[in-house]
Amino acid sequence: MSDPVFRGGLAGAKAIDGSISVSAIDDRGMIDLRGDIKDKKFVAATKKVLGISLPAQPRQSVNKGEVTALWLSPDQWLITCPRAKGAHLANGLQTALAGIHSLAVDVSDARSIIRLEGQGAKEVLMKGAPVDLLASEYTDGYVRRLRFAELAAMIHVVSSDPEIIDLYVFRSYAQYAWDWLAATSTKQSRLSLFANQSIASV
Amino acid sequence: MRINCPYCGPRPNEEFNVLGDATKTRPDADKATAQDWLDYVYERDNPKGRLEEYWHHASGCRNWLVVKRNTVTHEVYSVVAARDYKKTHPEGVKK
Repeated sequence: MSDPVFRGGLAGAKAIDGSISVSAIDDRGMIDLRGDIKDKKFVAATKKVLGISLPAQPRQSVNKGEVTALWLSPDQWLITCPRAKGAHLANGLQTALAGIHSLAVDVSDARSIIRLEGQGAKEVLMKGAPVDLLASEYTDGYVRRLRFAELAAMIHVVSSDPEIIDLYVFRSYAQYAWDWLAATSTKQSRLSLFANQSIASV
Repeated sequence: MRINCPYCGPRPNEEFNVLGDATKTRPDADKATAQDWLDYVYERDNPKGRLEEYWHHASGCRNWLVVKRNTVTHEVYSVVAARDYKKTHPEGVKK
């Protein structure tokens, strides 16, 4: 029997160095976690396994060490951790949550993560989404799902200064999203939204 | 049109899918006639003015919302999560 070998959705993609830097992250494990945040047993069990409290506030994330919990909806979170630990953590959650109305599934292969780094990362994303990412709420730890380049996507603002944003897309769309970003993040296509425009007056 | 999702804040309507009339109540399965089901499943008014609709925040928190809006001006009067709406309208909304 041959053993399955993981190959990321963007395996072999060479990091792009344009107006910002774009790179693929394929060493993250992901767990889809659902449950009632008002249920004290659910909160206690998840905290025991993950070592962090799930973010109850909409659009927030909590990070400690290798584990991050991203808010997806009032009863759903995406837990990210090193890929090698994903299955183990999912098993731990399932054991701890036995008997509690909830769900924990290892979905490490469902999504691909593309990291955008550098001044102007938000402007690059804004070319593909009808969202003002420069608003003050898009600060460290902010999470939101959105339509990006016609895709169902999610962004996680890892850091707002310096700008580091993780873009989550479903794996089958990863190459499209990557090509889109490659074309849109070149040095020539940098936008300067609030700078003086050097257009000669007519 | 922008919809103020109770969980995600103001969002463009491209992120939502519309289902339709939120004021219909599911008929009692034991007593309902074919006409009741026809009315519940298919028959819809097409009002000019105020409307209560189910919207799904498909590209956001994926929750069902009840949006009261105006079909003429696109003004949105209120947005509540469907689960909260049901608590305040247990019998459905009479027209």
